[in-house]
Amino acid sequence: MQIIFLPGLLCDGSVWAAQVEALRTVADVALADFSTQNSITAMAETALALREGPLVVVGHSMGARVALEMVRLAPGRVERLALLDTGAHPRREGEEASRQVMLDLADTQGMAALADRWLPPMVHEARVGDAALMEPLRAMVLRSTPEQHRRQIRALLDRPDARPLLPTITCPTLVMVGRQDRWSPLAQHEEIAAAIPGAKLVVIEDSGHMSPVEQPGAVTDALVEWLGLAPALRAAAHGRRTAMDTDGQDDGIPDRIPDIPLFDRKRSLRGYRLNKMAMGLAKPENRDAFRADEGAYLDRFGLSPEEKSAVMSRDWREMVRLGGNLFFILKISAVDPVRITEIGAHQAGMDHDAFLRERLGKK
Amino acid sequence: MAKLIGGLGTSHVPSIAAAIDKGLRDTPDWKPFFDGYVPGQEWVREHKPDVAVVIFNDHGNSFFLDKVPTFAVGCAEEYKPVDEGWGPRAIPPFRGAVDFSWHLVDTMVESRFDPMICQEIEVDHGIQVPMELFWGRPAAWPVKVVPIFVNVIQYPIPLPSRCYELGRVLRKAIESYDSDERFVVLGTGGLSHQLQGARAGFVNPTADRAFLRDIATDPDTLAAMSREKYVELFGSEGAELMMWLVMRGAMDRDVEVRHTHYFVPASMTGAGMIVLENKAAGDGRQAA
Ligand SMILES: [Fe+2]
Repeated sequence: MQIIFLPGLLCDGSVWAAQVEALRTVADVALADFSTQNSITAMAETALALREGPLVVVGHSMGARVALEMVRLAPGRVERLALLDTGAHPRREGEEASRQVMLDLADTQGMAALADRWLPPMVHEARVGDAALMEPLRAMVLRSTPEQHRRQIRALLDRPDARPLLPTITCPTLVMVGRQDRWSPLAQHEEIAAAIPGAKLVVIEDSGHMSPVEQPGAVTDALVEWLGLAPALRAAAHGRRTAMDTDGQDDGIPDRIPDIPLFDRKRSLRGYRLNKMAMGLAKPENRDAFRADEGAYLDRFGLSPEEKSAVMSRDWREMVRLGGNLFFILKISAVDPVRITEIGAHQAGMDHDAFLRERLGKK
Repeated sequence: MAKLIGGLGTSHVPSIAAAIDKGLRDTPDWKPFFDGYVPGQEWVREHKPDVAVVIFNDHGNSFFLDKVPTFAVGCAEEYKPVDEGWGPRAIPPFRGAVDFSWHLVDTMVESRFDPMICQEIEVDHGIQVPMELFWGRPAAWPVKVVPIFVNVIQYPIPLPSRCYELGRVLRKAIESYDSDERFVVLGTGGLSHQLQGARAGFVNPTADRAFLRDIATDPDTLAAMSREKYVELFGSEGAELMMWLVMRGAMDRDVEVRHTHYFVPASMTGAGMIVLENKAAGDGRQAA
């Protein structure tokens, strides 16, 4: 399944981060970029060119208008359509003047001033002061430019009337809106859903216009269910859990990701002395000291008996378990040569030849 | 103003340096790997950049765990290759671009990136290997370098999206730099590899090839991915691949892919290279 996500005015791929993250394991996901076009048609052409063949098209706000244009241009390619927080009507009376105010604001006072004016009405009233929500949105607007804004406003003002298209849409369609969307209200979505044969309407609770970021979980869940991907996601998650169950149990430090000793706070603290000792081996005089009396060299760094014995027996797996990080402890192999693939095989619990063959695909 | 003429991506596996030092270039194990870099070297010869901004990570050579900067910028006249423990390598020291380095630091801070500023620092295989892969082994490097160090070892490592944003700031710094010098940006590291734990030896050629495609055509998706996803797809050490996003963020949205190369395994790593140029202005509005 190929899913194309389409962002709205002044937005970029970051608004879809949660949905992309969730769906990427089970679908081929792409994000469209609308920073350079000045018409809805050009944006639709760009999005259609991202992949060949059938597409699931998910658009938010202006992106949903682009999604409708994709249906008009290539009805055979859009196999499923999701429209979020949007409209189908053409330019309204007075719209040009109110958009001009925003353009002038960006020109005279910059994107930060535009962000401060434009963003608050876009989200649920109660979230306007929520920095965790607002700061990334503000950073996103600051990534845009007055020129990009002007092109997108031009595209919006010249948008086609998509209402005649709605009754002709034959693919499964999901219409979604934040209950508190003040920019494109629920009633507007009820009309759209009623005009598209068989369309399904989902209302996202406690959300304004920016539903993919205001209620990322609810939006993702609705998409997953509508796409029928819940079983595939469960299977993928199960695969990950199985890997976690079978590996690293005796480790003492739980891994956040299966089989992977991420070098996090715990490991860094636990392995501090061991890693410091190993890093010291970059100096020739320390290499000499290590060779001359290994135990005495290790004592200099206050290694515990457990750590000392792991080093002295070149037990790489044990060194990693004790917080050793390969980049540091590898320097032991500068004094007592061993290939990195042998270190890898030891940790994997495999014979070296089998490791080269099975893990690295060597003949 | 200075000009960004291209974005290069490459692995920086230390075994590559060892293979060069031991004269293994044309052995059956290594020849296909090194041959794939010839078009990249030709591109560099033809386009003659003056300054290379190289994004890489230190591997326990210049920074210990006592001080771990998330982003650090070299502002020195010269960067000596560090002895990583196997003895000094016969490569010339790197000449710095001090004035630009400071301009970059200024631009970063004004853009809300606050880097560590390094005056005296030695550099490891993270920069040595990419420079050798593109410029060979000259008596003196024909380009000045600006090292940008990214912490991809001690968690919390930065978000991929943050690396991408840093690239945009880097672009701003280059284009506001009063000089007629020609810049290239090198994103280094990866591709898939894992050196530690029970999954050691993990490589993922499918994900690597998709990355080499998406870094050109769909960088926003790569920037939107979580760190955990990088670890899952590319391995615990392969997550450093996110450093390519700094290079990609410095380039235009629409780029032309001049060369790519993929080889697996280089030691325990899926190794890759890419050469990107910005699409000429007015050259179509659509992504390919
Ligand atoms: Fe690295």
